[in-house]
Parts: sequence; C-alpha cells; structure tokens
Amino acid sequence: MTVRDETERAAPARERRRIDRRRFLIASAGGLAVAGVHAPAASAATDDDLAYGNFGLAAEFLASDYYARALQGAKLDAAVRPALRRGRAVAGLHARTFSEMLAGAGDAPAASEDFTFEWPSGTFATAARTRSTGLVMLRAMLGAYQGASVGASAQYRTLFASVAASTAQQIGSLAPTAGAIEPFPVALDLEAASAALESFLG
Amino acid sequence: MRNRLVLLFLAVLAGVAVVAGASARPTATPPLTIYAGASLTEAFKTLDPAQNYSFGGSNALETQIRNGAPVDVFASAAPLNTQRLFSAGLVEKPVTFTANRLALIVPKSNPAGIQSVYDLRSKPVKLVVAAPAVPVGGYTLTVLRKMGLSSVLGKIVSRESDVKAVTGKVALGQADAGFVYVTDARAVSDQVTVVRIPAWAQPRVRYEVAVVTRSTNKVAARAWIKVLLGTKGQTALRNAGFLPIPKSTS
Repeated sequence: MTVRDETERAAPARERRRIDRRRFLIASAGGLAVAGVHAPAASAATDDDLAYGNFGLAAEFLASDYYARALQGAKLDAAVRPALRRGRAVAGLHARTFSEMLAGAGDAPAASEDFTFEWPSGTFATAARTRSTGLVMLRAMLGAYQGASVGASAQYRTLFASVAASTAQQIGSLAPTAGAIEPFPVALDLEAASAALESFLG
Repeated sequence: MRNRLVLLFLAVLAGVAVVAGASARPTATPPLTIYAGASLTEAFKTLDPAQNYSFGGSNALETQIRNGAPVDVFASAAPLNTQRLFSAGLVEKPVTFTANRLALIVPKSNPAGIQSVYDLRSKPVKLVVAAPAVPVGGYTLTVLRKMGLSSVLGKIVSRESDVKAVTGKVALGQADAGFVYVTDARAVSDQVTVVRIPAWAQPRVRYEVAVVTRSTNKVAARAWIKVLLGTKGQTALRNAGFLPIPKSTS
C-alpha cells in the first residue's frame, strides 16, 4: 500500500472526525444554551457583584412578567409571539442564574412573589405600547448588565456580559423591523438603571 | 298594711331588676397583655385601644418572654423572634399577619442634601440605625448589602434599641439620615422626608404573631389574633401603611 493509498483511505476518516467534532461543538453549544449560563462559585463575591445580582434577579422577574402579559394581551404580530415565548424562557433562565449566584454567596435570593409588578394603564392595550414598554425595560436591563460586565469582579464579568448579549438579542426581537434605528446601547450604573425600572417594580 | 305590701312588692321588683340588669351587662374581660414590635404602635392602638400593650424591639421583647414575663400575645417584626420562642415551646405556632418595607428618612431640613440612598456613599453623613439584633437593624444591613453599600456602615453614629428611637433622632435633627420602616416614616411625615429604597433591594419583612404558652387567657388571646387576621385588623394595618399578608410567607 502506497502512502497515497493510505492518505486517500484516511481522508474519509479525518472528514468523519471533523464532522463529529463539529457536531460535538454544536451539541455542546446547544447544551450550554439550554442549561443557561451558570454562575461561578461565589466564595468571594463583592458588594458590587451582589448588588448587580440582586438588581438582575428582580429585573428578570419583571421581564418574565412582561412577556407573560404581552403574550396574554396578544396585541403584537403573530410573528413576534415565538420571540415573546423565548424571551420569557430566557428571563427565567437568567433569574435562575442570578438566584444561584446569590445563594452561592450566602444571601437569600428574592422570589418573584416578593415583587408587585406595576404596569402603567394601557401598557398591553396596543402593539405599539406593548413594544415600547418592553424596550424601555430591556434597554435599562442591558445598560445595567453592560455596567456590570465592567464593574463586577473578574469572576462575574463573563456572566454579566453573556446576560447582556442575551438581553440585546431580546431587544432585537422586539424592536420594530422598520422605523428608528436601535440606539447605541449605553452602560448604566445601578442607580440609573434602578431609576429606569422603578415605576415597574413597585 | 296594703300599702306596705305594695311597697315590699315594688322593692322586690326593683331588686330583681337590678340583678337582671347586672347580669345582662357584658362580662368585663380583663385586658390582654400584648407585646409587640415598636413599629406596630400606632396600628395596634388604633385597632384596639382597650388592651395593655408593651412596644419595643422584638428581640428585647423575646428576651422578656423567655424570662417569664406575663404576656398573652407576642407580635414580632421578624419571624426569627417568634420562631425561636416556638422552638422553645414558649409560644403557640406563629402566623404571619402583615409585611412592611424599609425607607431612608432625612430631616425636613435635609442638612446633608441626601436625595438618593446612593448619596450615603458619597456625602459626609451622620447615619443612625437600629442595633443589628433589632429586626429593623438586621433589615438595614440586608438593604445595604443588597445595594452594594456596606461601606456606609462606617458613617453610623448611633445604634438604637428600636425603630422609634431611630425615627426620633432623625425627626429631631440629631442625625442626617436613618433607616426605618415605611410605616414609621409615615407617622412623622411632617418632620422627615422619605428617600425611597428600590424594590429589588428590599428585605423580606414579615410580621408574625403568636399566643404565649404561659398565657392565662388563651381563648381571648386567640380571639384577638383572629381579629388581627380578619378584615378589621387588616384594614387597620393597611391604613397605617403596612402591606397585606404576603402570598409567599416563607
């Protein structure tokens, strides 16, 4: 058998291995997406880490409530409904991640029942109001997560950056397909982000 | 003779009427002795002024019950105090009856210029809080930790024995700011300005009430708790700014 024969015979095997590796990576990425971003062990969480985590947990409960009401209100196009359902699922995933983070740091994480969400009258009465309220909420959340991805300690920066990316995706899904261009996301400190959500969080 | 008989009959009739009148009057039940967290002062006195109250830090009241104080009902600003007594067999099973929130208060003159809780970090402030063992003191620590503001603990100038002492110091201008319950801030709203604490930083403030095991008037004590949990009690609490019984009482 010549070297060329061996090479030719090995080629399909290499291709199979390449395909298997690709499948593995895709499967792994899918698995991570399903499992969510897990909070690292929070043995040395700083005050700022916990503050971002507590804010994030409340904000994700709020987002989950928003998506549920938007689905119930049924004013947005049918094409947007899958995005609303995904948004609700992702908000739950983010909330679980922040809850784990806080519990890992020895705190008692809040539960959704601890909050009274307050939506201005008529928020879900029209598609435009539903959309604009959702964008106000999500932009404040994105701003806070961007701030956290810089202000949190090194062990949590990736977590907050990942949640920020996921939130930006939600904004993209909710933003009108035509009309104004989505503004450049601005990082917010907790005081500003908190003020932006204050009217919704009761 | 006939007149005497008539007079005697009337006297007997009057005597019967007096006895009947006395027995028709409601039996005067002795007032209950109720120990309650200081923040409940206004609400409980409005709800039922006829009882004997002792208001104070729930931790101090718990200690007094442990030491054998003759108490019928204990209403605590934190489940920890009632649950500890329950574990020791000193109270019957506690029930949650209301909830509350924390606020930062500053004197009306606001000498430190505090507009937001975050200003505590950046401005020179004389801060007054309750001692950590007092429920509101523990809740204050939770708020500061949740907001990433533990550094302001260095600005505490006084740790008080109950929430009314904190409120008083701020109202009198002896401190620049203090953490109290929203309900206490409301009671001195003409003397202080409330600075809101965001919902995401609020601790889980739950109030519990229980009949004290040593009570000699348990029937009346249980009836009183029933009133507290009923419409009348809940209305009095809501009017004082308390929150309804939370869905999740864990």
